[in-house]
Amino acid sequence: MRRRVAAGMDKPPNTFSAESQRRGTMQRLLWVLAIAFMLSGCAARRDLVVLLPDPDGKTGSIEVSNQGGSTVISEANSATEVKSATSAPKAVAKMDESEVRAIFGEALDAQPSPPEHYSLYFKSDSTELTEESLRTLESVFSAMARMKPSEVTVVGHTDRTGSREANFQLGLERAALVRDLLVSKGVDQGLIEVRSHGEDDPLVKTDDGVPEAKNRRVEIVIR
Amino acid sequence: MKKMLMTALSVFFLIMSASAADPAAGFLKTVKGTASIIRQGEAIPAVVGAKIFKDDTLRTGADGSLGVTFLDDTVMSLGPGSEVALKDFEFSPAEGRLSIFVRMLKGTAVYLSGIIAKLAPQAVRFETPKANIGVRGTRFAVKVEGDAQDVRR
Repeated sequence: MRRRVAAGMDKPPNTFSAESQRRGTMQRLLWVLAIAFMLSGCAARRDLVVLLPDPDGKTGSIEVSNQGGSTVISEANSATEVKSATSAPKAVAKMDESEVRAIFGEALDAQPSPPEHYSLYFKSDSTELTEESLRTLESVFSAMARMKPSEVTVVGHTDRTGSREANFQLGLERAALVRDLLVSKGVDQGLIEVRSHGEDDPLVKTDDGVPEAKNRRVEIVIR
Repeated sequence: MKKMLMTALSVFFLIMSASAADPAAGFLKTVKGTASIIRQGEAIPAVVGAKIFKDDTLRTGADGSLGVTFLDDTVMSLGPGSEVALKDFEFSPAEGRLSIFVRMLKGTAVYLSGIIAKLAPQAVRFETPKANIGVRGTRFAVKVEGDAQDVRR
């Protein structure tokens, strides 16, 4: 047993040197790989910022800035590249839509549809919708079907005729009515949040006691 | 001593409940492939409808993508291999408290600004490791190639 260990101890110096030689080669190879990787990385590692047209077709503008300077982009599908935190963003260049698609396709496909806002108006001191709002209601229903919402908020409002407390209650009743209409069209009640702001959040500011058709409303946000 | 401890404890719980009551900043509207929400160091699988809070980080795998709708109607989506942190979010127009601060570490993202950008453009911050993007109410796309130091994790 002991001898075998001793015999085994004879060998290591040899194996060691062979191993350290191998390790040296490995190390050099790794360095070459690392440098190659870093060089290729340097060329590719740039931030790219592209201005896209808004869903409504308009285009806004963005300013890309860092310690090196800044660039404003205000044309759709125009882009700038940023090499480092200290080098100024490059001059703006136009990109093909297909190029934008190739780089950002998955992110673009993952874009949720933007939330939509609707207002329904009511007759004075009642939970009866105006004729026009009955038509708006149809757009709300079709938006629900189209957007498959994760959350819907329904907020009731009133004008300033009647007491503040009564108006809070009326706002709640208006909102509840809209909720029931949505539920009757198959919207999951658990997704709908119902609130009342009573007379405290008017679209048009008025003195107390003044009827104002624009304030007698339910605001719906579909997200 | 006991009294002090009790006071300290109740203050602690007050703070805890206050932060727990922090409203969500938004929620996940689309999820594909591998994607997670990193909250206080823990990875929570991303599912449609999950709430997003300030200080959450969103991460997608090589096959993943996701889309978030924020309370102010801002809409943001990530492509595969992306990581984005929500550093701040406040949306209380009545009190004039508005802020959205997104830090993108890597990957691809598409951002459509919402009401905060309309009411107070300077309250919108979008940062990459190399630049800040000032938003004037619009939609844009960003690609960030992660630096070696970002790959650590």
